[in-house]
Amino acid sequence: MKSGQAEIVETSKAIQKSGLMSRRNAILEFILRIVAFFNTITSAILMATTNETLPFFTQFIRFHAEYSDLSALTFFVIANAVVSGYLILSLPLAFVHIVKSKTQNSRVLLIILDVAMLGLLTAGASSAAAIVYLAHKGNNNTNWFSICQQFNSFCERISGSLIGSFVAVFLLILLILLSAIALSRRH
Amino acid sequence: MKNESTIIDVPAESSSAMKGKAPLIGVAKDHTTSGSGGYKRGLSIFDFLLRIAAIIAASVAAGTMFTSDETLPFFTQFLQFEAGYDDLPTYQFFVIAMSIVSGYLLLSLPISVVTIVRPLATAPRLLLLVLDTAALAFNMAAASSAAAISYLAHNGNQNTNWLPICQQFGDFCLKSSGAVVSSFVAVVFFTILVVLSGVALKRH
Repeated sequence: MKSGQAEIVETSKAIQKSGLMSRRNAILEFILRIVAFFNTITSAILMATTNETLPFFTQFIRFHAEYSDLSALTFFVIANAVVSGYLILSLPLAFVHIVKSKTQNSRVLLIILDVAMLGLLTAGASSAAAIVYLAHKGNNNTNWFSICQQFNSFCERISGSLIGSFVAVFLLILLILLSAIALSRRH
Repeated sequence: MKNESTIIDVPAESSSAMKGKAPLIGVAKDHTTSGSGGYKRGLSIFDFLLRIAAIIAASVAAGTMFTSDETLPFFTQFLQFEAGYDDLPTYQFFVIAMSIVSGYLLLSLPISVVTIVRPLATAPRLLLLVLDTAALAFNMAAASSAAAISYLAHNGNQNTNWLPICQQFGDFCLKSSGAVVSSFVAVVFFTILVVLSGVALKRH
């Protein structure tokens, strides 16, 4: 009888521990979502407030540069804005996952939406990265001139805003992983 | 007397009583019903087929971009009248990334077979989900950066004085754009694969 009682106490302790682990999992997910939101909103704002006017005359007819001059950068701002909006709206759902215990279907929904947002964010970040690389280095074979030699602060701004976006991509991958682990261990 | 009778009786019943009363703790682990195994096996087979389709899409993308060289037969105002994927570093990254992705897909086929054979094991599915998510992000990065360069090659940009090269190199442009489209098809396959793994991980 005593060994039986000990077994019951041990298995209930294991369940308590797994409940604690899944709660820790959900809290970590909530925190990562907030960090990713800040990263994407910062990137979007940094890119959207680029505006440089050269004080002197150059061989270019244009001496004004902003993000809307390059369509890939416009797409970058839109993608980051959409993903940061999604992250804010998914915070209540993540909070519910901390409190509630039977969350399988909502976790599957969250994985689907997270994958879609990961695709959108990666698309925006890498197309902007390709254009920024071109702006820095130019291309001899296609006669595309590197504009960074004229627009220094514009170039620095657009390069810096890429970092937050790529960090958010990595965080989204971590979020998908955490959701999958939480799905696979539910009792 | 009462205590004696309980001490004598309970050990005889305790094992069966625990087996009878423990299900609140024990039966949660009893997942060997064939019902949930059957539908998960179906999901695994679909996963395997999608993987093969994604291998075809990714390798077609890499191959088309690799063989997209074009040499113009006549003289133009450009000093260069030859175009290939290695003229643009972004296209080089595209070819390398798509080759890595198709290699990864080939290597993940055995793990997919394991999930078909053992549909209720969660470890291979979890591994596949993580690796597929990373490969999805990598594929999407290659595809969208190449798409940005393709868009520039087609339309140019007036604000930065970048001329569209497609007007001279029609064949090269066509082939490289086709490779980018094929790569986006592989991205769609990857998305379905990740969602499939996520749904199949659910425990009932």
